[in-house]
Amino acid sequence: MKFKCAELKEYEIVGRPLAKNDEKMPVYKMTIFAPDEIVAKSRFWYFLRQLKKVRKVNGEILRQTEMSNTSPTKIKNFGIWVRYDSRSGSHNMYREYRDVSRTGAVTQCYRDMAARHRARPHSIQIMKIETVKAADTKRP
Amino acid sequence: AISLARIGSSGINAEYGYTNNLSRSKMLYQRQIEVGRLCYIRLGDNAGKTCVIVDLVDQKRLLVDGPHCGLARQVIRLKNLAITDLKVKIARGCKTNVVRAAVTKEDIANKFLQTSLSKKAESKKAKAALGDFDRFKLRVAKTAHNRKIRSAVRKLKKSS
Repeated sequence: MKFKCAELKEYEIVGRPLAKNDEKMPVYKMTIFAPDEIVAKSRFWYFLRQLKKVRKVNGEILRQTEMSNTSPTKIKNFGIWVRYDSRSGSHNMYREYRDVSRTGAVTQCYRDMAARHRARPHSIQIMKIETVKAADTKRP
Repeated sequence: AISLARIGSSGINAEYGYTNNLSRSKMLYQRQIEVGRLCYIRLGDNAGKTCVIVDLVDQKRLLVDGPHCGLARQVIRLKNLAITDLKVKIARGCKTNVVRAAVTKEDIANKFLQTSLSKKAESKKAKAALGDFDRFKLRVAKTAHNRKIRSAVRKLKKSS
C-alpha cells in the first residue's frame, strides 16, 4: 500500500534472479513510480514476481536510480495507460494529463483515480506513460 | 492584505474595473490570464515578486517566468497570484531570454511600481516593519486626523 504526501519519484530499477553457479541470468528493468526508494524496490519485486518466476529471496537488485525530470519548464501532455482493480474486477484505462513532468502526471493520475474511481494506490498499476503531442490527445 | 489579494474576484475593484470570479474563469483565455500578462506573487516563497505568464498548464496552474526579479521559470498555482493590468508581448512558451528582452523593452518593472497594487504592498511592508515608537507616532497621527474629521462633521451637523 503506497502512501503519498508529495509528488512521486520515478525510479529505474534493474534486477535479476540470483545466479546459482556461473550461469547467465536474465536481467530485468522496470520503471517504477513511488514515493521513496524502499517502496520502489518493493513494487519492483511485486511486479517482477507477477511476470517472471523470481522472488525477492531469489533475486537481487543490480541498480536503482532516481530519474530526474527531463525538462521541468516545458509543459507536456502525458498519456498514461493504467490497469486498476475496481470493486468488481480489473480494468484497463487510458488517461491523459497535462503537466510539466512524468512524475507530476503520474501523481495526478493516482489522485484522479482515487477521486473518480475510488481506486487505492495498491490497486493501480501504471503500465505505460508516454508524452503525447497536443494534436494527438484524446481530449483537446 | 486580503483586499489586495483577490484582484478581479468578487466585488467592484476600482482600479481594474468590474470583474468577478465567474467572468474571470469563463474568460480564462481571453481577458486577464494570458501569455505575457504580468502577475504579482502573493503567497509562497517568492511572495512579493512579479512574473510574466509564459504558458498555461491547466485551469489552476501557470508556467511563469520572472527574469527581472531573479525568479526562475516555474509552475505556480493561480491561487498564489494576483493578476495585474500590465502585459508584455511574448509568444507562448518562449525562452527566458526572450521574456527578459521583452520585459526590459517595455520597462515593466517600473510600470508595475506605479500601480496601486505595488504601492499597497509597499505600505503593508512598511507597516509591518514599524517599531513600537513608530506605531505610537502612527496612533497619535491617526487620532489627530480622526479628531479633525469628527469635529468638522459635528459642525456640519449642528449647522444643518
